Amino acid sequence: MKLIIEGLKKNFEKKEVLKDINFEFEKGKIYGLLGRNGAGKTTLFNCLNEDLPVDAGKFFLKDKELRKIESDDIGYVLSTPNVPEFLTGREFLKFFIEINKNRIKNEKTIDEYFDFMKIDKDDRDKLLKDYSHGMKNKMQMLVNIIANPSILLFDEPLTSLDIVVQEEMKQMLKSIKKNHIIIFSTHIIELALDLCDEIVILNKGVLEKIDKNDLNNTKFKDKIIEALKEE
Amino acid sequence: MFKTFITSFKLKNTYRVNSIIYSLKGLPVINKILPNSLYKNKFLKIFGNIISILFEIIGTFLWKGLYVWLVLGSMTFAYKTNPVNTFLHLFVFATLIGGILNTYMLNPTKDKYYAIVLMNMDANTFAVTNYFYSMLKLIIGLIPFTIIFGLMLNVPLLICISMPFFVAMIKIIVIGIFSISDFKKNRVVKNENLPTKKVWILLASLLLLGFGLPYLGVVINQIIYIVLFLISIVFVIIALKEIITFKDYKKMYKLLLTNENVYAVQNANSTKMIKENIAKKIEYNGDITSNKTGFAYFHELFVKRHSKLLTKAIKKQTIIIIGIFIILFIVIFLNPTLKEELNSLPLIYLPYFVFIMYMLNRGTTITQAMFMNCDHSMLTYRIYRTPDVILGIFKERLKTLILLNLVPALAIAIGLVLLLYFTGGTSNYLNYFIIFISIIAMSIFFSVHYLVMYYLLQPYNINTEIKSSTYTVVQWITYFVAYYLIGKKIPTLYFGILMIAFCIIYSLISLFIAYKYAPKTFKIRQ
Repeated sequence: MKLIIEGLKKNFEKKEVLKDINFEFEKGKIYGLLGRNGAGKTTLFNCLNEDLPVDAGKFFLKDKELRKIESDDIGYVLSTPNVPEFLTGREFLKFFIEINKNRIKNEKTIDEYFDFMKIDKDDRDKLLKDYSHGMKNKMQMLVNIIANPSILLFDEPLTSLDIVVQEEMKQMLKSIKKNHIIIFSTHIIELALDLCDEIVILNKGVLEKIDKNDLNNTKFKDKIIEALKEE
Repeated sequence: MFKTFITSFKLKNTYRVNSIIYSLKGLPVINKILPNSLYKNKFLKIFGNIISILFEIIGTFLWKGLYVWLVLGSMTFAYKTNPVNTFLHLFVFATLIGGILNTYMLNPTKDKYYAIVLMNMDANTFAVTNYFYSMLKLIIGLIPFTIIFGLMLNVPLLICISMPFFVAMIKIIVIGIFSISDFKKNRVVKNENLPTKKVWILLASLLLLGFGLPYLGVVINQIIYIVLFLISIVFVIIALKEIITFKDYKKMYKLLLTNENVYAVQNANSTKMIKENIAKKIEYNGDITSNKTGFAYFHELFVKRHSKLLTKAIKKQTIIIIGIFIILFIVIFLNPTLKEELNSLPLIYLPYFVFIMYMLNRGTTITQAMFMNCDHSMLTYRIYRTPDVILGIFKERLKTLILLNLVPALAIAIGLVLLLYFTGGTSNYLNYFIIFISIIAMSIFFSVHYLVMYYLLQPYNINTEIKSSTYTVVQWITYFVAYYLIGKKIPTLYFGILMIAFCIIYSLISLFIAYKYAPKTFKIRQ
């Protein structure tokens, strides 16, 4: 399965944020989307998630044949976790499972999902408003993963997590990547090198893959930084 | 010194102009025309500057004119004492109160924060020059009005001219002799907007002496005023010396210009604060659960966990309405002559109840709570924005909103029907039915209206700020239409039938539109 983007453009008045994006993302890989502050990473995600209308271009999924991307196809994890604070973790999961019943393959019990996400037994029946930032983040990821969307967009989700939770999340992402197209935006280059199979940079409104070839991590990092610096 | 003053004045003017341009960007239609680069647009800058100058003039004259006219001039005639003496009496005590509450120097405004804390301007020069500018503005702004209103009351011209100077002197004395010494001794600065208990007691005493004594026939006279004026001159010289020679304004302002003080009003009204307050209203104990599934489960938990927020006001409203009707029935029983007058209330004053039903409806508060505690987070999940989910939850919410608002509506509807009956009834029995149904219809109409508007115009962005001027305009129009109907005397039979028909048609059309468009419009604003 592939996510194909063709001629995607997005302007904010005269500013061309996304100039002409042409790219193919494949299933089974984690793509590290790197870009400087304000480069348009979140705008790209918002366009793919149809939160923002695009000015030109199209994107679709190619499995056996080309098809339009539906709501069910995308899971979008924001950097700031948003969860309904009046529900407990268990109630939130119950609701999500119920409204996604038809899409969930091999449905597990709620506690199995909690175990998968390494959420403590004591926390499962607490109100989400009492969850820590990291736990809210885990819940947000979990509900996006449960519905099994083909595409998972992660907008700097690990930036503010402690190193233990970061490591847990990295392992979790690696464990689910074979069934998804995962695009992971970050500006932490080490995280991208450690987690991602491919590095893509968004610079001056253009999306470009950086090939690692035979470079070691240090040289590859330098190459990425050079590419990001280019005027 | 002059250079610092000019720089600070320019700074204040720049952010004032930018605020004006920012407000323009918030207006419907106009915001579509204006480019994003509007802050460097010369025409808009000129326009902003003109408005800014107008604000400065209004700030200098208008409020002071209103103050002299309303607080002093018109109040003078509320007493039987000599008008000249009363005018001076009210003026002296109001000046003392103003001297404490409105010092200029101890008001933690943003212009001081920007200049002293952020821009690191010379605090001493800034404080002194801006303070004297504000005193000058005060005198210039007051003088025409003390002369006009004073002469109208036959106050001698010299006294009229002296009055603005007296105001400025009292303010200077409060700062120079009390506030600066207090800081020197105790290293404490008191925010003028947050008076302490002692200050409140002092203010209340001054208020009582100022506006209470004339009732007892006790007022100061011109001689006392002149003596006070002359004493002030002595003290103001000492105070001026203190203000000019004081060199620790930076330290004083560091204590005063805290984030809490400077942004107190803004913080209290910010959507962030509203969100935090609404989040605090979530009730939780293990017993609150739901046996339903899907949307109904989700919505029922929302209602149960916000039970107080949703029902507290409605309970209060209902109790007050029942109380009012009971009092009316007792009054009728005790004084049957009032029956005829009260009989007309349900028969010709039904339009007035549109405004009452508007005021009672909890649609705005409830939809705000729905967004802050639920949709703000849920709308970031794409699955929540699918038509099935949006319309499923919309239906549940509509039922709840209608039911909640129907409680006080029923109390009014039954109360009016009974009132009509007990005050002599009506020859046309259809009136009973029309009154009852039209009140219920109005309640349903407002419930539908608020929920549909929320779904069609969802006004909030991810930071819980209202970003839809159309939503605000619709709210205002709703208010004005309801307000317009106050006092309109239309026979209930006609108005009621018209109202019922309107409510049914409006509700059906708006629900149809909501069903068609809400899946597209109900999302977080970018």
